[in-house]
Amino acid sequence: MSSRLSDRPRDRAEPIDPAPLLGEWTNYDVASRNIASLTVEQRGGEVILRVCGVPNVDWGETTAFPFALTVAGGEAVAFKAAYDFGFLRVAILAYLNKRLLVVDAYSTFHDDSGRSSYFVRDHFYLR
Amino acid sequence: MTYNFGMRYVRAEDRPPNGDTPPGGHVDPAPMLGVWFATDKQSAGVVKLELAERDGAFVVRAFGSGTPDPLDWGEVPAVAYAKSVVSGEGMAVSAAYDFGFLESLLAAYTKGGILVLDTFNTFKDGSGRSAYFSREFFHR
Repeated sequence: MSSRLSDRPRDRAEPIDPAPLLGEWTNYDVASRNIASLTVEQRGGEVILRVCGVPNVDWGETTAFPFALTVAGGEAVAFKAAYDFGFLRVAILAYLNKRLLVVDAYSTFHDDSGRSSYFVRDHFYLR
Repeated sequence: MTYNFGMRYVRAEDRPPNGDTPPGGHVDPAPMLGVWFATDKQSAGVVKLELAERDGAFVVRAFGSGTPDPLDWGEVPAVAYAKSVVSGEGMAVSAAYDFGFLESLLAAYTKGGILVLDTFNTFKDGSGRSAYFSREFFHR
């Protein structure tokens, strides 16, 4: 079954290799008010994300789900992850672009603060 | 994990700058509404997106590439995002499709008249197909 042509398999799929995502990533923008750094590691078959918000707020660990470029699998080019802080939920959606990690954060508030849901993007280099 | 200085936050961006009052939590999707077409006419991914308000709710209708006609994915609820916690003007959107055999998360932002769509696709049907990511560009 498929929802679009790119869903159709061309070859036997390989497992997704998360290696290109792994490591300690630092924000290029030292003035960012979003994410200062993040760590992606493989542990027991899972990919684990740890985010540090500005200024120096440890978000803790969450599971990251890697994605390949096609249904044939192979090297990971992107991942998604989610944080639920109760008052705030953040979807972290990231992809690699020439060894640059582009990280989009989609944030929605679930308190009575009246703050808008917002989108923010930052770019990270591998330390 | 979080600090409390009047409002809870996990990064500086979560706090209204200069003591600004948040607009109330509603983000207006109006700047994004309309029909968006893939810039790549040979796209094997999503070829068209309709962003609309239906009875006050923000919705997305996507169309996947197909032959002879695009595949209508139907309409799903969408979330609008502003550029900051004090802006009420929509500039990004997310929506999720569950086709049973496949889950597709759509996340897009607008910039300079272009909509940039990322899709995160996970198969649930045991077909052995890999989860995959796509990035596509759209114009109105």
